[in-house]
Amino acid sequence: MLVFEGLFAGYGGGDILKGVDLVIEEGSVTCVVGPNGAGKSTLMKVVSGLLHPRVGKLEFQGQSIAKATPRQILKAGIVQIMQARNLFTELTVRENVELGAFLIKDSSVVAKRLDEVCDMFPIVAQRAKDRAGALSGGQQRMVEFARALMMDPVLVALDEPSMGLEPRSAQIIYDSIATMNKNGRTVLLVEQNVRAGLSLASHGVVMEAGRVRLEGTGAEVLANPQMRALYLGGTIEEGQGVASSTGVGAGAPAFGNGS
Amino acid sequence: MLILQGIIDGILIGGLYALMGAGLTLVFGVMEIINFAQGILVILGAFLSYSLVRATHIDPFVTILITIPAMFLLGYGVYYLLIARLKRDRVIMSLLVMFAVAQVIEGVLDIAYGGTLVQIHASYVDTSLRFGSINIPLVYLYAFILSAVLMGCIYVILYKTKFGRALRATTQNPAAAQLVGIDVHRVSAATLGIGVGLAAAGGMLYGMTASFNPASSYDLISRLLVIVILGGFGSVGGAMAAAIIMVVIEDVVAVTWSPVWGQTMFYLVLVAVLLFRQQGIFGKQIARAQ
Ligand SMILES: Nc1ncnc2c1ncn2[C@@H]1O[C@H](COP(=O)(O)OP(=O)(O)OP(=O)(O)O)[C@@H](O)[C@H]1O
Ligand SMILES: [Mg+2]
Repeated sequence: MLVFEGLFAGYGGGDILKGVDLVIEEGSVTCVVGPNGAGKSTLMKVVSGLLHPRVGKLEFQGQSIAKATPRQILKAGIVQIMQARNLFTELTVRENVELGAFLIKDSSVVAKRLDEVCDMFPIVAQRAKDRAGALSGGQQRMVEFARALMMDPVLVALDEPSMGLEPRSAQIIYDSIATMNKNGRTVLLVEQNVRAGLSLASHGVVMEAGRVRLEGTGAEVLANPQMRALYLGGTIEEGQGVASSTGVGAGAPAFGNGS
Repeated sequence: MLILQGIIDGILIGGLYALMGAGLTLVFGVMEIINFAQGILVILGAFLSYSLVRATHIDPFVTILITIPAMFLLGYGVYYLLIARLKRDRVIMSLLVMFAVAQVIEGVLDIAYGGTLVQIHASYVDTSLRFGSINIPLVYLYAFILSAVLMGCIYVILYKTKFGRALRATTQNPAAAQLVGIDVHRVSAATLGIGVGLAAAGGMLYGMTASFNPASSYDLISRLLVIVILGGFGSVGGAMAAAIIMVVIEDVVAVTWSPVWGQTMFYLVLVAVLLFRQQGIFGKQIARAQ
């Protein structure tokens, strides 16, 4: 559904993404993990059109979106929640969520969607008239999710949605992601909590230094001994000989926790 | 009574400065550009109205029906032709672009009108309302009313329209605005258009209340910057209050002490305010995304 091929992109001072090859299957939850600075957020910005690739192929449902604007990509059905600061903090919660439907002209559709997301995220109705900036971190994430669903997107790109949340809020977020997927949306997820992210995912991707280094089902990637080496600060190539004897199976603690 | 006169003049003229300052502050809010051309754009607006009045003998207030749309298009065009094309260091580069635009306009006005001081005339320019010893020039009153009406229009646009919501969203968080599908370029172009359009209206009023030539723009822009800084960058309400406070201080000092100190005093107030409240009197500390 979303295809990256030989994709290079950067911010004007050299490439950050250095030849990304990746296929996101329709209906999947693809979880991208990788150390800080690997280029995960940069990849997400390319998907949403905030950043254009320098070279390479980027296709969504068979159409190139390499040169598309964020607005065109949104219309095509991809919505993104950034790693931080997604909300208009001086606007009310309701205004924020309504802005999610900025491109929808038909006000009856907007009203219907608003009802739907209020059912899913009661905080939107409860705090409708409050300034979005007055909400807690977890509540703000809910508002962001609610806003993202206003366009009824086909693909949802989420950049570290659990970042900075206490475990209970994070769990609500993971549950919402599972629900979105069950409702037929494809999910592209970046997670720093490797274990939580990969257990949720049907497909796991490890990025390092602007490239995809490992791929497989979520469980396969989680169990891969090279993962540990990567998170201990090595690179995958260098780390091949230091596979840990304790293993890093599903029971192991999350590598990224607390970082 | 002198003080009361100063306060009344201050409020009336402050309204006009607020109008010109609103253009500056809206543009700053959306684009983070300090539009150094705003002073000369006001003067351009004044000359346009001046010429229209001389050529057609219509009332100066009618001329803004032509000059506001024309100058809106000028601002809109400048954005797409010059600013939208900047790929790097946009904030600093657009500052230079606006500076260049100011120089070009000043050059053109110098050629077209020379340096002589002119004023826009209407039959009621020298008429005043008198209440005892208080004197209210009719022009000041009209200028205040038009400024208030236009500020009301800006308020309605900002808070009651979809475009206004897009503008406020862009001001707060440009990246998130793009991600909800707001065409940030179009919002920016329209905002610069509105800012320049307000300069057209402000120019007509300025040209009726004072005599001007192209060089008047320097005094204007420094006052406008003071208003916008005092009011807090990006805050329209703040600009309004700051403008009134500024002119009241200046007028009260001028009538009770000396006109020279009137001007100096408000710069002193500016320095004092900035020493204690760097975000201006009314500004909030805004943490912007990106
Ligand atoms: N706006 C920007 N301008 C210039 N360089 C940037 C910009 N944003 C990110 N970078 C650089 O790109 C590289 C990759 O950053 P990116 O945000 O994609 O990493 P990440 O994998 O998301 O890391 P994290 O886990 O910390 O979120 C980093 O070296 C970063 O410094
Ligand atoms: Mg990131």
